[in-house]
Amino acid sequence: MRSVARAVFLCALGAYFAIPMLAMARFAFQAVPVALLTPETMFTGWSLGPLISAISDPMTLRAAWISLTLALLAVALNLALLVPAAIVVEVRAPQLRPLLVGLTLLPWVVPPIALVVGVAGTFRLTAPWFLASTYSLVPFYALWALPFTYRALDAGLRAFNARTLYEAARVLGASLPVVIARILLPNMRASITAAGALTIAFVFGEFAFASLLLKSTLPTYLVVYQGSDPRGGLALALLVMVLTALVIWLLVRSLRRQRVSIQPVGV
Amino acid sequence: MRTTWQVLRGPDGRLAAALTLPFLAFIGLFLLFPTIVVVTKALTPDGQFGLSAVQSALSGSYGRGFWNSTVLSATSALIGGLIGIALAATVRDLQRPAWLRSAVDSWSAVASQLGGVPLGFAFIATLGAQGVLTRLFATGGIDLAGLGVTVTGFWGLVVVYLYFQIPLMFLVMVPALQGVRRSWQEAAAILGAGPFTFWWRVGIPIVAPAALGGMLLLFVNAFAAYATVYVLNPSAQLVPLQIRFLLQGNVITGEEDLGNAIVACVIALLLTSLLLMTALQRRTLRWVNT
Repeated sequence: MRSVARAVFLCALGAYFAIPMLAMARFAFQAVPVALLTPETMFTGWSLGPLISAISDPMTLRAAWISLTLALLAVALNLALLVPAAIVVEVRAPQLRPLLVGLTLLPWVVPPIALVVGVAGTFRLTAPWFLASTYSLVPFYALWALPFTYRALDAGLRAFNARTLYEAARVLGASLPVVIARILLPNMRASITAAGALTIAFVFGEFAFASLLLKSTLPTYLVVYQGSDPRGGLALALLVMVLTALVIWLLVRSLRRQRVSIQPVGV
Repeated sequence: MRTTWQVLRGPDGRLAAALTLPFLAFIGLFLLFPTIVVVTKALTPDGQFGLSAVQSALSGSYGRGFWNSTVLSATSALIGGLIGIALAATVRDLQRPAWLRSAVDSWSAVASQLGGVPLGFAFIATLGAQGVLTRLFATGGIDLAGLGVTVTGFWGLVVVYLYFQIPLMFLVMVPALQGVRRSWQEAAAILGAGPFTFWWRVGIPIVAPAALGGMLLLFVNAFAAYATVYVLNPSAQLVPLQIRFLLQGNVITGEEDLGNAIVACVIALLLTSLLLMTALQRRTLRWVNT
């Protein structure tokens, strides 16, 4: 009896998660209007045409290229700022841990839709050249990735007892830069990869901030493109979703293999 | 701050400070500076301290937007939270199909990140006027729109938000449920407690802080969601869409501080939720870590 209830519950949830994806794929790849959908027409009119014409549009490639550049720059900035701070706090100043935990939670308090008002009200007046550039999104994307990336790096540092290794290496005469470069960073490879992958996933999904600052990134382009070509737009959105899912799935798998438990949740 | 001073004085002190300062400067410039300016402007509408801007942000159509956003976020957090807990509890007891456990784990990690524009599109294709399910139910004689289930309505948005809320809650609850040791359950069974008594007297009190904290996280998550609802119903009376409206210059003279006041209220609400969440998490960690 209990196992039946369990199976029903899991199947219902499975259906809830699968149906929207299937419906999206059907709309994108089957040239049959919903009104004409019957068991006979179920398998007719399928083609990858909308997706192919969407990804061969030069504007699509440009939007994808911009988002990829933004993502890589955000990863670089996020890691360049956070890795040293996370290391120092873990090995040298653990009493400052609560401060770092609190600071890296702050981006949850001021989400894109809230910060955009402040950014428009301050930087637009003091540094208009800054907001004119698409790359002005980079520091903010690096900022909103902090809740994920700090927890990933912190879990990584604790997994191999970074503080003990630091103290041992110091006693043996290594300087702090040497300890970081030759002992800590190599051990943090898994968590640094995790932080990077989560940042990339965030950048490829962020819409509010880019849209309200009138920047053309892949998510804002999706909405524009869908307006002119509904089926191509959905095909493109599905592709973005599948690629994002793939990145996170590969990450979860590789982390599980290395027995690092990192929560892809920013808390 | 004697402790900070000791860090600076100790070995590697200056270097340690130099490695942390860029991070602090970054937070200060790109997060704290714009935030403080917004809150200051919201609290000084006419150049001096006053609550008139905050008052207008919480009354009239903006007040209704705030209420709608709060109710939508709370509803999706409550339902998503309960289903997420149920899923975590179900998977916890599940041993047999070994792949199922890891499939649910991986899918939750993926789906908790799948918000935004593509999710909105997916639900238009499912529950929109031309959606597959809308059509399926129509052939069965059930008019979904007539029942109030549309992707633009309140319950439609709740259904859409659950798509990322349930997996997020699952991810939060799995470690918390691991804190409930099987040995405790066995010990309780030896002392004569059935499963119901065990969960009522031991399990739930231990898991409750994590569950409440998780739901607060879901609330914050839903409140800040913008892209999905923008795709589904750009004219919905919700805070994120009202912020967009004000930001795009549709402001009557004399209402310049309204946007700032709305944002200040959002920040206050989210800050309160996250402080509560952190406090609840600390209670959870006591059990999970020991």
